[in-house]
Formats: sequence, structure tokens, C-alpha cells
Amino acid sequence: MKKKLLSLLLCTAMAVSMLTGCGSGGSKDSTTGTTADSGKTTDNTTGKTTDGSDAAGGKTIVYWSMWEATEPQGKVIQEAVNTYMADTGNKVDLQFKGRTGIREGLQPALDAGTGIDLFDEDIDRVNGTWGSYLYDLEALAKDADYEATANAGLIAACREAAGGTLKSIPYQPNIFAFFYNQSLFDQAGITEVPKTWSEFLTVCEKLKAAGITPLTSDDAYINTNFGYHLARLIGNDGVEKVVTEGLWAEEPAVLKVAQAYEELATKGYFSEYVESNVWPNGQNVELALGEVAMYLNGSWLPNEVKDMTGPDFKWGCFSYPALEGGVNGTEASNFGAQVLAINKDSKVAKEAFDIIKYITKGEFDKKLSVDSVGIPADSSNAEWPQMLAAVKPVLDSTTVRYTWAAGAEQNPDMTPVIKENFLKLCGGSITAQQFVDNMEAASK
Amino acid sequence: MKKNKTMIVCFLLPALVFFILIFLYPICRTILMSFFKIEGVTDAVSKWSFVGLGNFNKLFHTSLFVTSLWNIFRIWFIGGLAVMALALLFAVILTSGIRFKSFFRAAIYMPNVVSAVALATMWLQYVYNPRFGLFKSFFETIHLDKLAAIQWTDNEHKFWALLIAYCFGMVGYHMLIFASGIERISSEYFEAATLDGAGKVKQFLHVTLPLIKGVFKTNITMWSVTSAGFFVWSQLFSTVTADTKTITPMVYMYMQVFGAGNSVTEHNAGMGAAVGIILSLCVVLVFTLCNQLIRDDDLEF
Repeated sequence: MKKKLLSLLLCTAMAVSMLTGCGSGGSKDSTTGTTADSGKTTDNTTGKTTDGSDAAGGKTIVYWSMWEATEPQGKVIQEAVNTYMADTGNKVDLQFKGRTGIREGLQPALDAGTGIDLFDEDIDRVNGTWGSYLYDLEALAKDADYEATANAGLIAACREAAGGTLKSIPYQPNIFAFFYNQSLFDQAGITEVPKTWSEFLTVCEKLKAAGITPLTSDDAYINTNFGYHLARLIGNDGVEKVVTEGLWAEEPAVLKVAQAYEELATKGYFSEYVESNVWPNGQNVELALGEVAMYLNGSWLPNEVKDMTGPDFKWGCFSYPALEGGVNGTEASNFGAQVLAINKDSKVAKEAFDIIKYITKGEFDKKLSVDSVGIPADSSNAEWPQMLAAVKPVLDSTTVRYTWAAGAEQNPDMTPVIKENFLKLCGGSITAQQFVDNMEAASK
Repeated sequence: MKKNKTMIVCFLLPALVFFILIFLYPICRTILMSFFKIEGVTDAVSKWSFVGLGNFNKLFHTSLFVTSLWNIFRIWFIGGLAVMALALLFAVILTSGIRFKSFFRAAIYMPNVVSAVALATMWLQYVYNPRFGLFKSFFETIHLDKLAAIQWTDNEHKFWALLIAYCFGMVGYHMLIFASGIERISSEYFEAATLDGAGKVKQFLHVTLPLIKGVFKTNITMWSVTSAGFFVWSQLFSTVTADTKTITPMVYMYMQVFGAGNSVTEHNAGMGAAVGIILSLCVVLVFTLCNQLIRDDDLEF
């Protein structure tokens, strides 16, 4: 009898656990909206009907986001989506995948036929790596007169990245430039930002004379210093050629870059810890706590370190200085954005585009800008967060777009080697000639 | 008998189907992929382009990949020696009847329960910190100024910093395996040895060691498998872009399959598969060598 009772109990437990396992339940991704009701064929992964509509009559749009639900960006996007749902009656299945979730999971999911209508990531990755999955947005953008209040430079960058047509909509624009601590500049009596390399050296000298360490960086960003300097001399394409074809000794500009940074190192302009700075030590400790004055980084920096700097930190920004005889001046920088894109197989492209408008225009674009200390994408949102006020003139004067690190990280087999040797150069452990020799040897 | 056969087939079939689907198929597909150039990891076979042994050839001619192999070898060999020695030492001490055994065992095992991210943050931001770090203050206190001045996370010392941090967390795990092996040995052997006049050291060398040969084999195999998959610690010690001193084949594989750092670079899932094949061969080699060198079937107890 006991045995029978026990087996009955075990059977019940098994049946219950199987049913629970098979039920849709809550997934670990934070999800909004509901799955479709019965009566229609549903996609098992998303619960979406094949024509994008659900039993309630509205449509369901599946949106995979690169943010986490707890980040300021994630929270604002969630609000925008909630408002969209309330306004239209449509449902949005919003899933926050995080950076690696999107990077590793999006393409396999699309290949497997998962119904994802809308997704977001970096401008170059969306248009480059996932270019063949994108819906052409030209007609939708034209119908909505989208470009009337969009940043023309960024829209142009999106078109360029997609090979001439608009396949993504930018939001959370960013620019890569020198960020500095205005109070330290004031303390050293510096009244103007440097536009040329000699002015930059003067600024460094003044800072050092005032007892302030002028420069620092982290292992994650040091290659951008190398890329920018070389690109000022030979342009973005020239940099890519050097790193991919291994022209380290053949291209004389490489030695010039190394000599310039050797000078910075020997004059003691770099932090003494630059060689051992593992990100985020340089930005979070040295720059944010006011030990070092300047750091070449993206306009996301003030947001990243705001808990360390406090609200009173005065940020300054200037474009990487121009070099004598260089092909690019301060008008060239790496600028870009996160972009939203629609799956070319989506049946609800128009609705997905409406969500894009909710996120990138008006109220929510402004909120995104304020909450994440970011640059607004909507040009009618003219007011920038105070912390980024100094960035506006830099972005406005930028006309030439560099890719990430001005192309210096285009060869993944060489990126770690550049990082190793350039950090040593900045820390004064090797000379300019040794830098060139090491790079030449490693590229063979 | 006939009935039994049907039952055997019925019970084995689901397991067999799952084994084929979940183990055999991915293995065969990965081997096949390693001979092709494949842009996206889930690309249809029609998009693959055959390169023969091209991926393997390119890998062995890429200095960064060779560096990653060298790094993983050093992690496996040097780290292995250190971890095994410490784990065995702690295991012997713990099984020797000391007081507060459970406390020490839990304390040494503790790093295994803490997330690697938290541990790496502690090492990077606190222990190795060149301003106020534990190492700096400790060496300053004992007036070893040269050691105190070391910047542990610069290029010259980063590998050792990584190795120390990683091994710190691994000792407890292998110690438990050793300890359970030692506890299996009947106390009669030790009593007999004591009566014969053998001291603790002799007992360890002539009783404990020979009887835990099999445990050694298990530990070496486990260590090799985890070393081959060395990834998280490497990522934590060099975020965003890889580092020459911390890169391992798994990190290289990730770069090939999902792209490297912030730049949009060319992907080749076939190359990633080739890295996987090389790593598997390494583990098989270590396992075979272990089986040949450590024979544990000559003793019965």
C-alpha cells in the first residue's frame, strides 16, 4: 500500500513538473506584452502569430534590445514601448538581451527563423555583420518625413554603412574625442583647447607645471590614441592598410606616431600607471577622481563615471589635434550611434518603424538623453545634458567619419600586439624605434 | 529473451537518439566546419567555402594564436604543478585529523562558490592595485620595496597576475578530490605502517601516494579540461580587446566566431571550429599520456 502511494505521489510529481516545464512560464529575459491566444498558428519561440496579429486584433512586434532592463537606456526604452502599446493597442514583446546576448544570439536566432521584428546594436555591426537581414527603410522614413528632425550626419553615416541606402535609424549618438577635467585646466591657467599638436604639447606642459598629470588611458582604449594619430597623418584607410597589410616599417608615418608618443612619455605627460591600467582603472580612478586631466574616449564617458565624479565635475571636450602635413584635421573623428533596424522578413515593419519613432523622437529621445547623459538624436531636442555641453561644438564641426579607433583595430590578430607595444611606449618602457621593430616583427 | 530485447531497445532508444543529436552531430559538424570558411556560425552549408586544411595552416602561422597556445600551455603546466602541489598538501593536512577540519575545508573551497567576476574584480582592483593594493602594502610592510613597486597588471607581470588569481580559486576544488581519495584508504594501512616504524613523511610517500594514483589521473584530466576551456578569467583580465599575455585559444576562437573588440572585423566560424578541434586533440593527448604514464591498476585495496 505504501509503495502504491509512493509511486502515485512520484507520478503526480513527475506529471506536474513536466507540465510546468512545457508551459510557457516566465523566461529569464524580461518581457513585456503577451503571447498570442489559441486559435492561430503560433511561432513557438515568440508566441507570435504568422501574420503578426494576435487574437485581440492588434499586432505583436518582437523587439530584441542590446540593453539590460536595469540600465537607464533600457528603462526609457521600456517606457517608450509601454506608451506605444497604450496608444496603439499593439503589443510589443520587448526582450533585453544585453551586449553579448545580441552579439552572440541575434544572427543564429534570425537564421533559425525566430520572429524578431526590431533590434538594435552598434551602427557598424548592424549594417556590416547583419547587413543582409535588414529591411530597407527609405520608403518608411520618407513617408514619415523622418529626416526633417534627424541628425543629417548620422543618417548619412547609416546610409554609408549600409552601402548607400537607409537600413537603420540612429539613436544615442556618440563621438570619440579628448575629454578633460575643466577645473584642472582652469587651475593650470589653460583658457583655450588645443587645435594643433604643438598647442597640445603646450597644454600638457602647463598642466605638468601645475603639478597635474596631463594624460592617461586604459588598456581597452589605448589603441585609439595610436589610430587617431596615424589617421591624422594618413587617413582612416591608410591606417587600415598599415594594420592589415603589416606596413609597420614601410609606412614612415608609423614611426612619426611612435616618436610623438615617445616624447609624451619621456616628458612625463602620461600617468605613471598607464602601463598597468586595466579598464576601467584609468577612467574611473585617475580621470574621474581628478588625478589626471585628459583621456581620449567616447561621449559615453561622463555617464559611465558619473557616480565617481559627482554632479559638479566640469567636463570639457576637444577633437584630436591636427598634425602638420596630415591629411585630416580636427574635422575628422569617430562618431556613430546605436541604431535600430528592422528584420527584412518582418510582417509588421510599419509598426516597428512607429516604435523607432517613439524611441528616437520627441519626449522619449529627450528622456533617453537626460537619463543616460547622452546626445539626443532628434534635432528638435536642442538642449543637451549639461555634462555634454562641451561635446556639441565638437560633434557639430565633425564632417569626416573615422571608423572605430580610426581603423587601428581592423586586424584582430594585431590588435593585442598594438596594445601591448603602445602601452609600453606610453609608459616609457620602449623607444619609438623599438615600437616599430616589434610591430614589424609580430606582423611577419 | 525476445521480450527483454524489445525492452532494451525501448529504454535505450531515447538516450541513443539524444546522444546522437546532442553529442555526435555537433562533433561531426564541428569537424566538418573546420575545413571550410564560414562567415556566420549558423550559415547554411551552401554558403560554406571549402579551404581544406587552410584554417589549420593559417592558425599555426598566426603569431597571436601561437602565443595563445603558449599561454595555455603555461597555465596548464605551471598552474597545474602549483595547484596540484597545494591541493595535495592541504588534502594531506586536512585528512591528518586536525581540529576544525570542516572549517578549513570550507574556507579553502570558498573561492569556488564565489563568482569569477567578483573574484577577478577583487584581484584587479584591490590585490594588484599599484596605489593601495594588498601586495603593495604587504611588501612595503616587510620592506621589500622592489616587490612593492611591481605593477602587477602591466604587460610584463600580467600573465603571472592572472595565473596567481586563477590558481587561488582552483586549489579548493582539487583539494576536495584528493581528500576524498585519501579518506578512502583504510586506516589499517597507516596503523600497520606506524607499527613498522614509518613516520608521517614515509607513510605519505609509500602508502598514501601509491594508493591515490587514480585520483591523480582524475585531477590531471579535470585540470586539463578546465584549462583547455580557459576563457572567463582571460576576458576579465583584458576586457574589450584581447591581450598578448592573457589570450587563450578559447578567446581566439570567440574573436573568430563573434568578432573582436569594438571593431567590426571579419568572422570565420570555420577557423573557430579548427581551434576547437586543436583543443580537443590536446586534451585527448594529455589523457592518453596520463593513462600510459600513471598506471593505477597494479594495486588493489
